[in-house]
Amino acid sequence: MLELRTLSRHFGGVRAVDGLDLTVQEGQIFGLIGPNGSGKSTTVNVITGLFPPTSGAIVFRGQDIAGLPTHLRLREGIARTFQNIRLFGQLSVWQNLWVAQNSAQDLARQGFFARWLGGQRGVREEIGRLLEFSGLAHKRDELAANLAFGEQRRLELARAMAAKPKLLLLDEPAAGMNSEEIGQLRSRILKLRESGVTILLVEHVMELVMGVTDRIAVLNFGQKIAEGTPGEIQAHPAVRKAYLGGEAA
Amino acid sequence: MDFYFGLAQLIGVHTLLGLSAYIVLLTGQVSLAQAGFFAVGAYAAGMLTVLAGWHLVPALGVSALSGAAVACAVGFPALRVKGLMLVIATLAFGEGVRLFFFNFDYQIAKGGIQVGPLGGEGFRQIRFFPENGWETGEVMLFIWVFVAAAMALLWWFDRSRYGTVLRAVGEDEIAAQSMGINLTAVKVSAMTVGGAIAGIGGGLYAHYTTHIEHASFSILLATFAIAYPIVGGLRSVFGTLLAVIFVQGFLVEGLRFLGDWRNLLFGALIVLAMNLRPSGILGRRRA
Amino acid sequence: MLDFFQTLSDGVLFGATYALIGIGFTLVFGVMHKINMAYAAASVGGAYAGLLVLKVMATAPPALVFFCAFLAGGLLGWMVYVACFHFIPLSSPLATLMSTVGMLLLIDEVIVHVTDGMPQGYPAMFDDVMLRAGEFSMRGDLLLVFGVSVLAMIGLLLLLYRTRLGLATRAVSQQPVAAQLCGIRLVRVNALTFIVTGLLGGLAGALIGASVGTLSPLLTVPLTVKGLIVTVIGGLGSVPGAIVAGLLVGGFENVLQLYRGVTERDLYVMLLLFVFLVFRPGGIFAARGGRD
Repeated sequence: MLELRTLSRHFGGVRAVDGLDLTVQEGQIFGLIGPNGSGKSTTVNVITGLFPPTSGAIVFRGQDIAGLPTHLRLREGIARTFQNIRLFGQLSVWQNLWVAQNSAQDLARQGFFARWLGGQRGVREEIGRLLEFSGLAHKRDELAANLAFGEQRRLELARAMAAKPKLLLLDEPAAGMNSEEIGQLRSRILKLRESGVTILLVEHVMELVMGVTDRIAVLNFGQKIAEGTPGEIQAHPAVRKAYLGGEAA
Repeated sequence: MDFYFGLAQLIGVHTLLGLSAYIVLLTGQVSLAQAGFFAVGAYAAGMLTVLAGWHLVPALGVSALSGAAVACAVGFPALRVKGLMLVIATLAFGEGVRLFFFNFDYQIAKGGIQVGPLGGEGFRQIRFFPENGWETGEVMLFIWVFVAAAMALLWWFDRSRYGTVLRAVGEDEIAAQSMGINLTAVKVSAMTVGGAIAGIGGGLYAHYTTHIEHASFSILLATFAIAYPIVGGLRSVFGTLLAVIFVQGFLVEGLRFLGDWRNLLFGALIVLAMNLRPSGILGRRRA
Repeated sequence: MLDFFQTLSDGVLFGATYALIGIGFTLVFGVMHKINMAYAAASVGGAYAGLLVLKVMATAPPALVFFCAFLAGGLLGWMVYVACFHFIPLSSPLATLMSTVGMLLLIDEVIVHVTDGMPQGYPAMFDDVMLRAGEFSMRGDLLLVFGVSVLAMIGLLLLLYRTRLGLATRAVSQQPVAAQLCGIRLVRVNALTFIVTGLLGGLAGALIGASVGTLSPLLTVPLTVKGLIVTVIGGLGSVPGAIVAGLLVGGFENVLQLYRGVTERDLYVMLLLFVFLVFRPGGIFAARGGRD
């Protein structure tokens, strides 16, 4: 589904991502972990096109998308959430989802005028379902900026889903959540996989990563130091070393 | 009565100017080029009715198209830069347009006199309304038909997905882009619609004043254009209308009895208003 | 050919004043990420205030007038800061933009009101001195303008790179949050930036008055535009960029004035800006963050 081939992204002399090879199979929940500053978020930003790669290829469903502008990558079926929550704060909850309906299916379904100048009537039902799924139906007309932190995280996930992605990139979706919320997030992620979405999960919270992923890659200093099933990763000596304290450990 | 009709004409034209900046501001871009589009529309319509003998309505159509075309052409390079750089780029463009008309001569003889734009002298004798016997009240109604149409259009945009996307881009470009929105297309389209509205405003302005010159399209006018939606707030098109009435009706006309001091008060009031209500009179709801 | 070099050198010398104005815009941008639209107006205002000396003491030497303009510029800079920046939250960029435009109009109107809109003669120094090398010459008053501007720039650079205030200013412009955590008082740095740029502006205004011979309120808007163009061409936030761009714009416009006349001159300056925006949007030195 997604294949990164010797992908690199340098910022001046800093090699944020350095020759990364990664393959995510269709239907997988793939975990990407690593210490702070190991290049996880940069990888997500390069996949979605916010930064062009310094070198290497990003192959998505058999096509190299490295030269595609960000907004067209969503149309190909890649949607994301942000580590530091980037909602449209002065738009209402349902407007946040409305804006995101830019998938290829949505484009094919509606004519230009209905799509841009039509009211909300045609899409109300679909947005309603997404809000139901995220437990935000009662906050439909609230401004996104006025939501509680956990609700904002849920809304961001719902907004990414509104783009009907084939591949969903979640950038630390559990950051700042308590364990009850993490449990809900976990069941949502599993439900999304059942509906056929492939997921790349960047996360620090091991409770979530180890519980839902099929396969995990570990990054350190922009390079992949290990890859395997959650069980294999937990037992991997290089991973323990990277997490527990650099060269000394 | 004619005084109030005249004031209403002015308010109508300035509302169009303010609305043209409003739609661009929704995308988070501050454009000081609106006076330039307004000038293009004014000269285009004036030349068509005076030199080519057109009726005003199709001439206004050309005003809208030329305003839109220029705005679209400016939009592509100018929107490559963001924020304050855009303010400066558009400011320079507006000045460029003004200087262009300062140097622009195109006169032909008509009925024994020379008519048409003449550089620093300006463009006199745009006499479509008096020649066709329109009363001040009729002219005012004519102008307000366009104002109402522009307000209705933008009000409708605000309720459509398009308007929501404009606001989303204004809120967070990175998120908007990541959610599949083509930033360039959205920003340039807003600029183009704004250019068309400003063009019509300019065309109407040229005809009710009958005399235009480069100095009328200065930075002061560009500042007014963005001041209206900023002072009125970006929550709805009515904010812009209210701001125009407040500024032109109250500050400019209402305080005329203050004479010279009125101009002093004007700047001071803008400063004061921004200190008291940084998000505008009908400001956005804040979290 | 001689005409060309003569015009170019006159323009570059006068361009030093544009460089000073550009520095004012760029420093405020660097520290606050805001544009102070009232800056050029305040500079001209400062220059006018310098003339007050002549009211008190009709025989005051021009140098004293310049010095008073310098001080008045600093005072006006501080007033602009208090009126347009201090009380408006940083999260409302449109509000500060509008308030400084309001301030521009206000300063303009005060000048018109006080002088009845009449241009005021401005004292000059060395205006009867002329350095000659064959056919080529340099006007003494323009050399003075250039020399004083260069001294002011050196003073500013020393201030920025050799004093604690300068260190704090640069810290704030790079990492405002970290700078505050290090005990730098943001509000004080902001206010001082306005005072320092105001001093430079007042001086620039006086030098412009001296080399043109008169001051008029009609100067403020073109000077605002020129200053902003210089700032963009030099790269927003870059002091060396503003200096180079100021000299460049000064020379460029004077040469075009020679070939195309005074009314078309500024049109080409706008074109120069657009060339930079399209091909080098970060400015000459492409300072970090210059695209925002």
